[in-house]
Amino acid sequence: MPTTPTQENDVFRIPIGPQHPALKEPGHFEFTVDGEVVTAATLRLGYVHRGIEKGTEGRNWIQSLYLLERVCGICSHVHATAYCLGVEKLAGVEAPPRAQAIRVLVAELERIHSHMLWLGVAAHEAGFDMLFMYSWRDRETVMNLLEGITGNRVNYSANQLGGVKCDIDGEQADDIRVGLDFLEGRIKHYLDVVSQDTMFLRRTRGIGVMTREDCERMGIVGPTARASGVELDLRVHAPYAAYPEHPVNLVTATAGDLEARFIVRVNELFESIRLIREILDDLPEGDLSVRVPRRIPAGETISRVEAPRGELFYYIKSNRSDMADRVKVRTPTLPNMASVLEIAVGHQLADIPMILTGIDPCFSCNDRMVAINDPSRGEQAWTWEQLRQYGIEYYR
Amino acid sequence: MSAIAALLIFPGGVFLLLVGMIYEWIDRKLVARFQNRMGPRWFQPLADTIKLLAKEEVVPDGVDARLFFTLPVIALAGAMTAALYVPLVGFEASYSFSGDLIVTVYMLSLLTLGTGLAGANTLNRFSLIGATRTLTQLFSYEAPFLLALLGPAIVADSWQIGEITDYAGDHVWLLVTQPIGFLVALIGLMGKLELPPFDAPEAETEIVAGALTEYSGRGLALFHLGKGVELVIGLTLVAAFYLGGVTHPLIFVAKTLALLSILAGLQALMTRLRIDQTVGLWWRYGALLVLAQFLALIVWEGVM
Repeated sequence: MPTTPTQENDVFRIPIGPQHPALKEPGHFEFTVDGEVVTAATLRLGYVHRGIEKGTEGRNWIQSLYLLERVCGICSHVHATAYCLGVEKLAGVEAPPRAQAIRVLVAELERIHSHMLWLGVAAHEAGFDMLFMYSWRDRETVMNLLEGITGNRVNYSANQLGGVKCDIDGEQADDIRVGLDFLEGRIKHYLDVVSQDTMFLRRTRGIGVMTREDCERMGIVGPTARASGVELDLRVHAPYAAYPEHPVNLVTATAGDLEARFIVRVNELFESIRLIREILDDLPEGDLSVRVPRRIPAGETISRVEAPRGELFYYIKSNRSDMADRVKVRTPTLPNMASVLEIAVGHQLADIPMILTGIDPCFSCNDRMVAINDPSRGEQAWTWEQLRQYGIEYYR
Repeated sequence: MSAIAALLIFPGGVFLLLVGMIYEWIDRKLVARFQNRMGPRWFQPLADTIKLLAKEEVVPDGVDARLFFTLPVIALAGAMTAALYVPLVGFEASYSFSGDLIVTVYMLSLLTLGTGLAGANTLNRFSLIGATRTLTQLFSYEAPFLLALLGPAIVADSWQIGEITDYAGDHVWLLVTQPIGFLVALIGLMGKLELPPFDAPEAETEIVAGALTEYSGRGLALFHLGKGVELVIGLTLVAAFYLGGVTHPLIFVAKTLALLSILAGLQALMTRLRIDQTVGLWWRYGALLVLAQFLALIVWEGVM
């Protein structure tokens, strides 16, 4: 392959996506390679923009909850939690302690499910299907626990404005304890695998290194940042719901490579298990929800929670109607995505899928559209129908 | 008449293709069970082949159509020709002449070469990268693999497969006297067949299906059949050379299946190597170790 960078036509570009076996969701990457080494990378997102933020403006507060829960297919509960906490703050109510504890409990179970899913996907990208199959098999345990609590495996719908819908009785608590005991044993084994398997370490140790300074400059969040030694976890630094009563121990690593990202995420599983046990032992008595008015008082607020992938940010504005005036969602994948393009350069093509998966990307969560209106020319915000039409035309 | 039967029915032709599919099924099933999956049903490789053979073959723009159609045929023909010189399932080889070991190894390489050329023939960028990797990998394992098969030839003092297997049958298993050669031959076979962890040339999460990305119908079926045939021949060679020569067919098949289960276990256990790691592994360890053993053998022969 002739690759002289001075001649534009001779540059060899590898397209990854929108449809590619490495990507479970559509996104388009273009890697310029010199032999096997990546020399430049570009990214195009937006294939799965669904207009959810706009969609909330035509639905009442309760309907929006169900819509927002579908932003992410893996971490649905944290979206609902962030939204509920924000709306409750605007309405001036607070969910009862038992509800807050159950919110945290479901959130931690969800974190276990999300991290185990990631562990499998990341191992698959490295061609280690054994770990993929085993971690997904064991993940069924936590999926069944979530189904036992809420009746659903993915979009749990555990939250409601002012509290939660599901309670946890003694029998369910015992089921959860049994499931956690099993998972703890398995996760110990996975920690050994990701930190000791020589063949696997050849693909993770020293690959995709991001220093602490890099992370802070690019605004990286979540386990990806914590693997580089950034002490940033909203459950610790800005505790919400029941986290003030049940403090979380920060899990970090310093190496900043793929191995560290594996180790941080696996160690977070132990922390989640510890937290769930603590909450089960010390579940406050009381009501599950309080009443929230149909019209939310005018005002604006932000609400931040720690999703499995990092900081999830909600901005909610009310104009004292039964619908939201504006809901803005920023998912953790958006800041993290920038790091992929930067650290990809200089790596082998074979490492790219691992580096991409290392940030645990969720494409459909982060796809947004920006349209700039000029009020002086009489331009108006788009209606739902116009947005839909634009989307149809865009992909035609 | 017997020549035609040998080519079309046994040991070449239909019999070989069926055995190839059965071995492929055993391999897939074992890997699946190791990974706690159900795995394919027994007729799945056959069903896949029939389906692919029945499908339309899409010829992409910008390829040389003649090469596109002939390369899979050459690859399969090479693998099946090699079968005529090896003692399949413990029966005497159909043909034999002095030096047939070299011809067999060369014929086995045709499949890899055909795959590489097929990838280089298309304009698809995944295929081109896959073809580069396939040929790079060929250069890394081919020499150690050949040396590993030449070890038994040196001690038997012959380049004829029949005489080497006779020697192996009369003496203690060569696995005991040439353990490095056995390991290199077995792992070289995994490299030849692009089985994990040497599946960088067709790493699906990077380059889709590698060199064969543009193949859809008959061509893909022929390449797959060729791979199954090569698996059988490779296992036969290793079993005949290192595990006590040609014996009763049932015992011989049991030996090749034991080797296959080792291959399946290794496939399941290991992470895919990057192409640079594959080359490094073979030239830093594989080639040097087998060369050291080779030298030791030559010196030993000289002293005796």
